[in-house]
Amino acid sequence: MQNCQQIIDLVSQEIDRKLPWKIHLEVKMHLLMCKNCHRYAKQVKFMHAELNNIEENLNAVSLSTEAKERIQQSLQLAQTKNPS
Amino acid sequence: MTQQSPETWLNDYGDLLYRYALLRVRSEATAEDLVQETMLSGLQSWNSFSGNSTVSTWLVGILKHKIIDYFRKHRHDLKQPQANETAEDILAYQFDSQGNWQVDLIEWNTPDSHIDKQQFSNAFNHCISRLPQRMADLLFLRSIENVPMNECRELLGFESDNQLWVTLSRTRVKLRQCLATHWFDKG
Repeated sequence: MQNCQQIIDLVSQEIDRKLPWKIHLEVKMHLLMCKNCHRYAKQVKFMHAELNNIEENLNAVSLSTEAKERIQQSLQLAQTKNPS
Repeated sequence: MTQQSPETWLNDYGDLLYRYALLRVRSEATAEDLVQETMLSGLQSWNSFSGNSTVSTWLVGILKHKIIDYFRKHRHDLKQPQANETAEDILAYQFDSQGNWQVDLIEWNTPDSHIDKQQFSNAFNHCISRLPQRMADLLFLRSIENVPMNECRELLGFESDNQLWVTLSRTRVKLRQCLATHWFDKG
C-alpha cells in the first residue's frame, strides 16, 4: 500500500506516462477514497491543462522598438538574399 | 482566414513569440534571438505552410523547436548543481512522517469570468517564473513539449529516470503550492 505522499508522485507520473495497470488501479482506488489526494490530482491536472495553452495567457511584455528594428533588418536581409 | 504575408509577422506575432520565449529562457537577449530565428525559419518554410493551423500556432511550433535546439547547444551550462530544487519544506508541511496528509487541501474554483482569468494568468505566470530554472525547463520540455525521456535526462543533466520523475513531481508540488497561496486561497 502506498501512502498519500507516494500517491501524489504517481499522480504526477501518470500525467506524462502510462503506469503499469496494477499501480494505475491502486492510484485510482486511492483517489476514490482519499479526498485530499483526489483534490491534489484534480489540481495538478488543471495546472497541466493551463500550461498547455499558456501561450494565450502570457505576461504582457513586448519586444522593444529597437529589438523589432533589429529583427526586421535581419528578415529583410534574408528576403533579399532569398526572394520567394 | 486571409493569407497573411510574412511582412506583417513581426507586428502580428512578434510579441506573442517573445513572451513565450521569455517565459522559457528568462533572458531578454536570448528571447529576442529566438524570435528572430523563428521568423527566419518561418520565412524559409513559408511555402510549406499548409494552412491547417493558424499562422500563430505554426510559428509557436517553430519557436518550440528553436527552444529545444537552444537547450541542445547550451546543455553544459545547465549541468551545474541546482540549488533549491527540492520541495522538502512544502512536503514537511503537507505530510506527517507516515506520508499522510496533515493539512486539508481547499477545493479550487476554476476561473470563469474574464477578470478572473486575467488574474489567474498573472498568478500562474508569476509562479512559473519563481520555479528554479531547471524545474521549469523539465516541466515544459517533458510535459508540454513532449521531448522524450532520455533526451530530457541528457539535456537537463539528470542522473537517472527516477531522479527526473521525482523532480517533476516536486515541481508540481511547488507550482501547486504557489498557486494555492497566490490565487486560490486569497478570497
